[in-house]
Amino acid sequence: MGFLTLESLSKVYGELAAVRDVDLSVAKGEFVSLLGPSGCGKTTTLQMIAGLVEPSKGKITLDGRDITRVTPNNRGLGIVFQSYALFPHMTVAQNVAFGLEMRKVPRAEREERVKAMLGLVHLGQFAERYPRQLSGGQRQRVAIARALVIQPPVLLLDEPLSNLDAKLREEMQFELRRIQQRVGTTTIMVTHDQAEALSISDRVVVMEQGRMTQIDAPYRLYERPATAFISSFVGKMNRLDGVWRRHGASGHAEIAGMKLPSEAVDLADGYAVALSIRPEKLLLKPAGQGRLDGKIVNRFFLGSYWLFNVETAIGLISVSVPNDGEEPASEGDTVALDWTPASLRVEALSAQGAAA
Amino acid sequence: MSRARPALTPWLLVSPGALLFLGLIVLPLVLTFILSFHVYDHTTGIKNEFTLAHYAAVVSDDYYLGIFWRTLRLAALTTLICAAVGLPEAYVLSRMRDPWRSVFLLVIIGPLLVSVVVRAFGWSMLLGSTGLVNQLLQALGFGTAKLLYTESAIVIALVHVMLPFMVIPIWTSLQKLDPMVEAAAWSLGASRFTALRRVVMPQVSLGMLSGSLIVFGLSASAFAIPGLLGGRRLKMAATLVYDEYMHELNWPLGAAIAIMVLLANLIIMLAYNRMVEARARRTLG
Repeated sequence: MGFLTLESLSKVYGELAAVRDVDLSVAKGEFVSLLGPSGCGKTTTLQMIAGLVEPSKGKITLDGRDITRVTPNNRGLGIVFQSYALFPHMTVAQNVAFGLEMRKVPRAEREERVKAMLGLVHLGQFAERYPRQLSGGQRQRVAIARALVIQPPVLLLDEPLSNLDAKLREEMQFELRRIQQRVGTTTIMVTHDQAEALSISDRVVVMEQGRMTQIDAPYRLYERPATAFISSFVGKMNRLDGVWRRHGASGHAEIAGMKLPSEAVDLADGYAVALSIRPEKLLLKPAGQGRLDGKIVNRFFLGSYWLFNVETAIGLISVSVPNDGEEPASEGDTVALDWTPASLRVEALSAQGAAA
Repeated sequence: MSRARPALTPWLLVSPGALLFLGLIVLPLVLTFILSFHVYDHTTGIKNEFTLAHYAAVVSDDYYLGIFWRTLRLAALTTLICAAVGLPEAYVLSRMRDPWRSVFLLVIIGPLLVSVVVRAFGWSMLLGSTGLVNQLLQALGFGTAKLLYTESAIVIALVHVMLPFMVIPIWTSLQKLDPMVEAAAWSLGASRFTALRRVVMPQVSLGMLSGSLIVFGLSASAFAIPGLLGGRRLKMAATLVYDEYMHELNWPLGAAIAIMVLLANLIIMLAYNRMVEARARRTLG
């Protein structure tokens, strides 16, 4: 039994089920991200945990206590809203102190805790400013401080970084993780940014159309996506349809007559399969020295790596190559692709549609 | 010619409004102001001599001061009640979903479509000694109460007339509020009422400010309602001016009272505005 559990939680708006039978168990101190495209129900799930949306069905328990029908002000959870929702008429210190005031914490202790919390988020000198006098990143940290100062059992983050520019977003990701690890608060973050979810979570929950389709540690999610949707949503993926050719105990994948060494699976001969491989698992070699020849169509320089689109006999394949300081092959060059068989994943589609 | 036109265009655009303002507000005001210094004689009428006697008479006479004080008191009370009723009303309105929101917005604005005189007569029928309210009181065994021609009647009717002017500015400023701000207050342990008081209200204070300025100004200069519901004896500033003009025929005295009411109104409203707005602007930006 986890610290925070959701049991067959659902939210139905008229005909539309925004969230369908969601089950999740979060351990104490864990950082869990709800990842998915907009409209997948992740924010509704978060709002049900927060008590801002009433579930149509299901149960939420916190530390063994059923909180499904408890009002938001009696749940005691810390929430960081997407818009930050700071109180514009209060100073930073007053914003942070608000939750303590509501808990009737004595003034001296209140000031002490506000000061300590503002120190933690590096906003010590800004205590007397108003929110409108702060930058986006600073406001964000005020929102985090305000939510954490009440020492909530669970911290809920609703797209906390989406209003920040790219550079600040990356900084704040690590900042968020640092604060969370320091305080040790159980945290649930909603995000549509897979990089954000992967980099700072202990576990990632992928949501599609109101359902949780995979709950896994970030690297496992990346290496073993459960559905086609997840494989394309989380990171880049080359995905091709092929056929499984079985010979004896082993076999190989095949597309348009090309034999492609892959991981071993136990499938019948002629089974339709989906083959997938991450761009960074492919190697570029001089023509003729790899498993598959192709011609470079586009080449993009992305700083830490190069991205190639290579036209091959089995279709267009993306390859990413770390930047080693030398200029690699250019557009129009003929190259060969190579990979370790285990990195080419094979997934059974169905027995039908198998190539003759 | 094409060079001259850009400089001329703004003047042309502003001229209809400016002419209207000059002809219908500034000019009569200036004339009233001049009139208030003319000498008045009960037998010969207005003379072409100038005096400060009217102002001195108003300031030194308890009768006039009493009416000024009542005007101030009733206008302030009306403003207060409108704010107390209008804030929750606007809040409820802002939380409504669409078909109902439009319906109730119309209900709130609706009274503005009916003439003030008609509404004042309506209230005098309701509040009269044999009116609906007194019939109800009698049926409940409370006996009759004198309502019509009292200050209560004036305030009741003024609140009814002025409420839209309070609700609409507050509603507008509520529209601009991030709804999540209230949710944030709840999540931090504030009850619904505390969230409303500590978080929502301070942010709509500017809307309340403009609402109360409109309500106070209109109430202090209201004519039809005190005239019809206050009766002959319970006068407010505007009805007093009317009496001086039309019954006493002492136009200069009436003009002096009108100018004094205008100045008092102006000073109160500017002071109030400066006080509240300065504070709100400082924090809300």
